[in-house]
Amino acid sequence: MRRGVFRGGVDDVRTMARGWRWGRRSMVPRSAEAYVQAAEPTVFPTDWSRTRPLRVLREVAQKGGLEPLFRSQVRTRVEGLDVLRSMTGPVIFVANHASHLDTPLILLSLPDDWRRRTAVAAASDYFFDTWWRAVGSAVVFNTFPIERRGGTMATTSGEVLADGWNLLIYPEGTRSTDGWVARFRMGAAWLAVEHGVPVVPVAHRGTFAAMPRGQGWPSPGRRQLTVRFGAPVRPAEGESARDFGARLQAAVAVLLDEDQDTWWAARRRSARGETPDPAGPDVAQWRRVWQQSQSPPAGAPGGRRRRAWSLTR
Amino acid sequence: MSRPGFVLEVDDRTPPLVVHEGEGFRLETFPLGTRVIYPPESLPAVPDVDQAIQHALRNPEGSDPLPELLFPGMRLTVAFDDLSLPLPPMRSPDIRQRIIEAVLTMAAAAGVDDVELVAANALHRRMTAAELKHIVGERVFRSFFPQGALYNHDAEDRSNLTHVGLTDQGEDVEINRRAAESDLLVYVNVNLVAMDGGHKSVPVGLASYKSLRHHHNSKTMVRSHSFMDHTKSHLHHSAWRMGQLLKEHLNIFQIETTLNNEVFPAPYDFLMKREWEWSIKDQGSMLAARRALSLAPARLRHKMFHDLRAPYGLTGVHAGDTEQVHEKTIAAVHRQQLVEVHGQADVLVMGVPYLCPYNVSSTMNPILATCMGLGYYFNSYRGQPVVRRGGAVILYHPLKPDFNQLHHPSYVDFYEEVLAESTDPAVIEAKHEQNYAADPWYVHLYRTSHAYHGVHPFYMWYWAAHAMDHVNEVIWVGADRRAVQRLGFRAASSLADALEMASDTVGRSPSITYLHNPPHLLADVR
Repeated sequence: MRRGVFRGGVDDVRTMARGWRWGRRSMVPRSAEAYVQAAEPTVFPTDWSRTRPLRVLREVAQKGGLEPLFRSQVRTRVEGLDVLRSMTGPVIFVANHASHLDTPLILLSLPDDWRRRTAVAAASDYFFDTWWRAVGSAVVFNTFPIERRGGTMATTSGEVLADGWNLLIYPEGTRSTDGWVARFRMGAAWLAVEHGVPVVPVAHRGTFAAMPRGQGWPSPGRRQLTVRFGAPVRPAEGESARDFGARLQAAVAVLLDEDQDTWWAARRRSARGETPDPAGPDVAQWRRVWQQSQSPPAGAPGGRRRRAWSLTR
Repeated sequence: MSRPGFVLEVDDRTPPLVVHEGEGFRLETFPLGTRVIYPPESLPAVPDVDQAIQHALRNPEGSDPLPELLFPGMRLTVAFDDLSLPLPPMRSPDIRQRIIEAVLTMAAAAGVDDVELVAANALHRRMTAAELKHIVGERVFRSFFPQGALYNHDAEDRSNLTHVGLTDQGEDVEINRRAAESDLLVYVNVNLVAMDGGHKSVPVGLASYKSLRHHHNSKTMVRSHSFMDHTKSHLHHSAWRMGQLLKEHLNIFQIETTLNNEVFPAPYDFLMKREWEWSIKDQGSMLAARRALSLAPARLRHKMFHDLRAPYGLTGVHAGDTEQVHEKTIAAVHRQQLVEVHGQADVLVMGVPYLCPYNVSSTMNPILATCMGLGYYFNSYRGQPVVRRGGAVILYHPLKPDFNQLHHPSYVDFYEEVLAESTDPAVIEAKHEQNYAADPWYVHLYRTSHAYHGVHPFYMWYWAAHAMDHVNEVIWVGADRRAVQRLGFRAASSLADALEMASDTVGRSPSITYLHNPPHLLADVR
């Protein structure tokens, strides 16, 4: 009888773990989505996560845990960091968004002094819906909540900027479903215009192929990721956020183009207005996904690098 | 803000759903595409109950205010619904207590001396002193019970019954003499479901067998589509005729109350939530409850359930003329329970819980489980049944052939003798009802002990007559096979097996609808 009771308990736990997706995000049946109650606006203060003790803890977590783990799972190629040498910050990094790997990729690609001063804007309804997820992401990634649907936050992006922190913002608002870039929202551009800070465009490839939406861990085989930082873009005098936002999206598009070819070829295409649309070709969905599920090649862009001194002709 | 009820369509994102089965519940994985009818969420309760009662009594519908109906030297009788309402019993103070106290305060102020309180239990069992006290409260109980002025209605006390007359269709109207001869009869009702209240209160609750047999019979029940819609129910049509006759002879002041859907107290409140919205705490509560129930001995398990007291909130109180009051009451019940459903299903699935109106603090025997599933739940519709004619019904309940000898003595014989011979409501009515109704031993137990009347199990079986007439297949999951056989149904060990068995009737890919209650719901099938 005891054995039966024990077994019944195990079965119940299994049923619940499977039915309620333990360890994964819960889902609402499609026919019930219309009846989901709007969540109360979350007010989750994260100022504490930018205090000195937490910065020390984050340094340990990122360098001692996150980085070795990250590098054990993927290979990275980082280009364009020299643009940061001539700057002091704060700046806003805007990047395309395709995977949960994007944030560790960009943060761990930054020079240490920049990384330590960079906070990440994270969707409040996703990363701050439970206390443990909020605390975890704030400690490890220095996230602060932004409201995708409008609302009041305990800490606004402007305050974080004003405190001298760099921001990492994904203007698309969510991860891409097919690896291609969606339309940029105005938030990052508005912040830059409002606070008069430069924006560093960032383009990366390969994260969708390595760990797309719905996947909890990178695919095996140490997939190649690339990340490229572009020259800072500054809002012109009297430029609207809408116009500036369009320039930011164009800057990221040029960087993506550059990452697949050469800087010179990408510049020339840009000058001719022929930069490939980062939203991808208008073809069947499977072809879009198929193309993006290909990791970037391991070598440098623009074909095989020629050796300066070649022994053979 | 309470969300309305809705119909879920089971998909790959849907977690297993709670299905009640007696003193327990299971998590059932339904086939993809199954429709699940969820009741509306609990409506907000009236913030000031006493003020709402005062307002209703002083501003009644189609009647003078209650204080104006009270005068010195009058005979005042207060009748009230018995322990079959609400379910589960309400956490103290019961709404009836608060209303009766308000009525008596007005009566005292008006100088009324001759007051009696009668529980309108018809052929239900006599309530114990403790049960009466729970309903009317300590002050009322102390003031009236020791003097014999607070008591259960006795439908077999010939000296205390008055034959008021016959309806235009020849139906006897015979009710409690004290009520019939009062200057004013105040009736305090709890309208838990749409079936309750209106003229079903006085002409049924205070009646005798002679009067009840006109509508509590298989013919009436099979033609009541459904008895949760009083405009389409032959049971209610008969009660309404009786009520209209009574109105000519008697001054009735009807007070009706409606409750919200706060059925389960903590820690069982997760049972009122939609499963995919369960928090970690809710999931832990479910696991803990399932483990506790599987480990607990039967007696403790019974106690765990029957000690539950619902934290119901009042959603409305209306007083005055019975019919005018009832219209408002039904509107309030519909606000809380009505769910729009489009189209009928081939298979209707229902989980029968531990409690029905007739086993408060008692045992849910197979006859009562049948009444609850095929009677109350099947009839929880307006328009047309949730399942199509010729479809199948799948029910969950252990159906243990356990009977409470104190409360249900005639059920034992009904189960062993009557059902062994026939399960056809019309046949058993013609052949056996009179014997059980007039049996002196059952009458004696009804009058002096706490037994349901001898004829009561017949009524329970008639309650299910419409469902039995409407569907071709009734299958019980997880039930005692011998009991199921005795009841004339079929038993399956799982939902998959039940659907396999039903495939002869409804095919291999039937449309399935699961009625997700309790809390209470009323399917408005279009």
